Amino acid sequence: MADYAHPEVLVSTEWVSQHLADTDRVRLVESNEDVLLYATGHLHNAVHVDWQRDLQDPDVRDYVGAKEFARLCSERGIRNDTTVVFYGDKSNWWACYAFWVFKLFGHEDCRVMDGGRAKWEAEGRVLTTDVPAFPSTDYEAKEPDPSIRAFRAEVVRHMEAGRPLVDVRSPQEYIGEVTHIPGYPQEGALRGGHIPGAVNVPWSRAALDDGTFKSRELLDEIYLQEQGLRPKDDVIAYCRIGERSSHTWFVLRYLLGFKDVKNYDGSWTEWGNLVGAPIEKGEPEAE
Amino acid sequence: MDRLDEIAADFALVPAEERLYLLLDFAERLPPLPARLEAARDAGLGRVHECQSPVFLYAEADDGRVALYADVPREAPTVRGLVGLLVEALDGAPADTVAAVPDDLLYRLGIAQQLGMRRQQGFAGVLHRLKASAAEATARAGS
Repeated sequence: MADYAHPEVLVSTEWVSQHLADTDRVRLVESNEDVLLYATGHLHNAVHVDWQRDLQDPDVRDYVGAKEFARLCSERGIRNDTTVVFYGDKSNWWACYAFWVFKLFGHEDCRVMDGGRAKWEAEGRVLTTDVPAFPSTDYEAKEPDPSIRAFRAEVVRHMEAGRPLVDVRSPQEYIGEVTHIPGYPQEGALRGGHIPGAVNVPWSRAALDDGTFKSRELLDEIYLQEQGLRPKDDVIAYCRIGERSSHTWFVLRYLLGFKDVKNYDGSWTEWGNLVGAPIEKGEPEAE
Repeated sequence: MDRLDEIAADFALVPAEERLYLLLDFAERLPPLPARLEAARDAGLGRVHECQSPVFLYAEADDGRVALYADVPREAPTVRGLVGLLVEALDGAPADTVAAVPDDLLYRLGIAQQLGMRRQQGFAGVLHRLKASAAEATARAGS
C-alpha cells in the first residue's frame, strides 16, 4: 500500500479489525450493490449506506442535497471529524461510490478498506447481524464540491479540447454493441458507442481477484504506460450512471495521485440520449 | 388464488419500507442446485446475463408441469430472494402459469420502488430467462 500516492486513504482489514470498537473516532460504512446484503451480516459496529435509497434524490436525477446528506451522517453518528471507512461488495465498487459522494459534500477523512467484504470474509473474520445505534450528531455538510463532479457542458468542452476521457464500461458497451438490457430500455440509452476521444479501461482492471486494488506498479502500467495518461492531466471518467467510474476516479485521484479527476455521473445514460451529441463507435480512431 | 397471488397478499400486509426484507426468507429457503446440473452451470449454460452476480436458472418439463432449479450466490441476497420467490411460487406449476407470470410482478409485490430501476432490470432478465427456459423445456417434452 505504501507505494500509492495517498496511502493513508486505504486501510487494511487488520487495521479495521483493531478499530471495530473505536466508534468515537471511526465509523465503518458498508455500501453494496445488493441492498439486502448488509442485513445478512456486516462488520461489528458498521452502519449501512445504500447508494440508491440514501444517496440519490428519489425524484430529480441528482444526489441528495446538503441537508439530507447532513441528516444521513447525523443519524449514523458521524461527526465532521469522524474517520469514515467505506467497504462493500464487488471489489469496493459501491464503497468508492459512497466515498465519492461523501467527498462531494466535503467530508474530510474518508478511507476505503482494501479488499472490501470479500477479503474480510475470506480471512474468516466475524460478521454480525446486530445493527448498531449511535447518538445523532450536529453534522454540517458543505455545498457539493464541483472539483470532483463533471456536468455535460464541461464534458463537451473537455472533449472539444481533446483532453483525456476514460470510459470505464465493458468493451461491448464502449464499442457500441450494447446500449441497454434486452426488454428493459428504461435505464438505457438511445445510442451506443462512446464520447469521441475517450479511451476504454474497464474499471475492474484496477482490482485483483481478491477485491484489493492492484499495486502502484501494475496501475502505472495500465493508466500511464498503456493509456498514456499523465498525473498532471485533468481527466474525466464516466460509465453508464457514474458508479463504476467512481472506482476509477478513486484509483486515479488517490492511488496514482492525479491532481484533477472528475466523475461524470450523467455518463452514458445522459450522453447517449442527448440530441446532437457526437458519438464514436468501434475502436478509437488511429491518430 | 395461485401461489404468487398469495405471496403478493402477504407482502401487502407488511409496511412498504420493510417489505424488501421479506426476500431474505426466500433467499434462505432457495434449495441448492441439484448435482446433475452443476456441469451445465460450470460450463456457463443457463446464466442470466442481465444480473451483475452469477445467476443460473434451469427448467425441466414433465407432463405439462415445470420444475425449476436455480443457483444464486449468497452474497447477492436480493436477487437470490427474488429467484427463491419465483421457484417457490412456480416449481411444479403448469407451463401456462409460468408463461402468464406478469412482467410487472415487482410492482404487484410493492417492492419496485424500493429496488430501484437498476435492480429491476436484473429481475426482468431473471423473469425473461425463466419463462423462456420453461417454454423451451415444455416444447422439448412435447415433441
